[in-house]
Amino acid sequence: MPLFGKSQKSPAEVVKALKDALTALERGDKKSDKAQEDVSKNLLLIKNMLYGNSDSEPQTDIVVAQVAQEFYNSNLLYSLICNLNKIDFEGKKDVAQVFNNILRRQIGTRSPTVEYICTKPEILFTLMGGYELQEIALNCGSMLRECARYEALAKIMLNSEDFFNFFRYVEVSTFDIASDAFSTFKELLTRHKIICSEFLEQNYEKVFQHYQRLLNSENYVTRRQSLKLLGELLLDRHNFTVMTRYISNPDNLKLMMNMLKEKSRNIQFEAFHVFKVFVANPNKPKPILDILLRNQEKLVDFLSRFHTDRSEDEQFNDEKAYLIKQIKELKPIPSSSSTMGASSSATSSHSSTTTTYFGSNAVSKTSGSASVVVSSNTSTTLADSSIDASNSITSSSVNVTNNVMSDSSVTSTRNTFS
Amino acid sequence: MVYEANPKCYITCSVLNNCFFDKGKVLLAKYKKSGSLVAIKHFNLEDFTQDQYDMIIDEIVFMRQLKHPNILPCLTSYVLNVDLFVISPLMGYTSCHDLIATHFQDGLSEVLISIFLRDILRALQYIHSKGFIHRAIKARHILVSTDGRACLSGLRYMYPISKCKMNDKVYNFPLNASHNLNWLSPELLEQNSDGYNEKSDIYSVGVTACELANGIVPFAETSTTLMLTEKVRGVVPQLIDCTTWYLYEDGQSQKEELTSSNETIENGNQKTISRRFSDSFHRFVALCSNRNVSMRPLPKQLLNHSFFKSIRRLNVNLSELLLPAVPFTETNTAELREDLATIDNVFHNFNNMSVFTEEWDF
Repeated sequence: MPLFGKSQKSPAEVVKALKDALTALERGDKKSDKAQEDVSKNLLLIKNMLYGNSDSEPQTDIVVAQVAQEFYNSNLLYSLICNLNKIDFEGKKDVAQVFNNILRRQIGTRSPTVEYICTKPEILFTLMGGYELQEIALNCGSMLRECARYEALAKIMLNSEDFFNFFRYVEVSTFDIASDAFSTFKELLTRHKIICSEFLEQNYEKVFQHYQRLLNSENYVTRRQSLKLLGELLLDRHNFTVMTRYISNPDNLKLMMNMLKEKSRNIQFEAFHVFKVFVANPNKPKPILDILLRNQEKLVDFLSRFHTDRSEDEQFNDEKAYLIKQIKELKPIPSSSSTMGASSSATSSHSSTTTTYFGSNAVSKTSGSASVVVSSNTSTTLADSSIDASNSITSSSVNVTNNVMSDSSVTSTRNTFS
Repeated sequence: MVYEANPKCYITCSVLNNCFFDKGKVLLAKYKKSGSLVAIKHFNLEDFTQDQYDMIIDEIVFMRQLKHPNILPCLTSYVLNVDLFVISPLMGYTSCHDLIATHFQDGLSEVLISIFLRDILRALQYIHSKGFIHRAIKARHILVSTDGRACLSGLRYMYPISKCKMNDKVYNFPLNASHNLNWLSPELLEQNSDGYNEKSDIYSVGVTACELANGIVPFAETSTTLMLTEKVRGVVPQLIDCTTWYLYEDGQSQKEELTSSNETIENGNQKTISRRFSDSFHRFVALCSNRNVSMRPLPKQLLNHSFFKSIRRLNVNLSELLLPAVPFTETNTAELREDLATIDNVFHNFNNMSVFTEEWDF
């Protein structure tokens, strides 16, 4: 832009002007309109120094280095982020671009801005808090993901108490913000394998207690995304210890077996990828083995009908065949009284309502909403029995409206948990 | 005003259209707190593949992060069961594609086109300045507000232009773009090592200009492969009027043979053949659809084109020009007061009968 192109201000001058304008904006007195304008103007100047614009090339490394140095000296990154919601719409995006550019700066193998932020972790905490405010959530998200690329910064974020706020952010009602928060959350949990697995091992109880809430969320997207991420986390070889611990807990197995039968095919499919780990485990603890044994026939029957239309997905079909084989070959441990328990719980389940039968929150919630889709389900019932078998299990109303189904596959595929 | 991400705050009035390869629906609804009309895009996420899901998220983020009077914004978005709802302000005249389909089969008038395209070029100038290419300019993505402002939508195809000055070309081919091929520039379709840049959008503006004027998109009756080779050879889209119709004579006569008894088509042809677009409009289209990318101007330069000069001289009343089309307004829209599920079911049943795409006239 020619208006600004003429400016011959040095980086130090521009940064100082920005700092002054920001201080005025922070005070929020009568002149704050003018201050906001000045902030945006100077931000644009800095952005053009770093990136160049249609009329000018980006500045030389020396200028960029000067800009960065001035930012460190005046603690400007922090004040920009603290006052982000007071900056105008385009200015907010410019802050993110300037921040990301300065962050990426390298001298040889060193990343000076990363080192700087390590000494000022409040920058990261303020950014994470940005998800609380609709107007700046997406801007903070883009900066956070840029930060999460650096191991040192990701470690600070993971190990802060604020990290657990993400379990709330990923579930906010505004979809785009929840979805942005989830991608940051996922980045933090998967990007740097070593520190991620350390974090999960050290905080196992707390993390999975929180994670359980995501898996039981009322929000379909949260449930589907978190289930998918769970599968990825458990199957990552770095997280072996965490996986072993997770698949030893019978409650987790029950949850997955319930999710296998959710009415959403995508959730069924993701649940399959977690469920398979329980079955494939060569050293199944007794409680896990007991559950699988009690449901041996039902599981085999259920899995043989499970997503049969995915014929082109070879890996899935191989895995499914493997699971069926494994489950068929399961042998009970001698001197167990589990058969008695199984038969009694099976009888009671037939008479009881869906809600009391499935203890888990998620399932009772979906069965409540399932009545809405009954009409569409019944029409496809005969066309695809595998989908509908699982649909009708979660919804008692389907059983009522469709006697054919409840006679055949439903009762046989019901899993019984003691 | 802040729109809440809460399904209880919206009353659905009717179904306007399909979107996103017919996987989504556009609902007309009322925001209870203010009574203002909104358009709700409704998607069933269960049907979506991963890359379609990503596209939807991208679109919402772009709509949130771009703010311009000529770009359709996203007011909020929320999830209910397996459905995603994206709220935008209602564009009272719906899309230019719908306007053509319902009232202007032979195309819009030149004045209207110049007004709409000026708005779209302004939006493009903004999008390019933010470092993106739109890649899906077409009549379906040009929405017209009740006060006659054209807004650009279809942001899910947007792609960032490389920040590096040494090489500002883009090589990525848009995903799920099979519906948009007729509008795309030859250099984008070629997918060769030269890549393409933001001027690809200008070519699409040229094709869209013809679509708006002719009532049908150029290359509509051409097979995809032939369309590609013709574009690459430099065959440019044309406005059809008394100066150019003879170029299409062969095509027309074939069409007449096929539908020999159809009087409306013949009348339509008559009207098309006798009209005349201004020279500046013809030059504008030629400039936009120049095969040579370097000869194609940027939005900023095009906005000074003589094609747009006439808008200032004329004192146009848009709502009169758009008659017989009438926009949806708060007063002529009935509240159905039925929940979304019911409407959806009805819509599924009547999907092919286009019952609900008709205008309401009260």
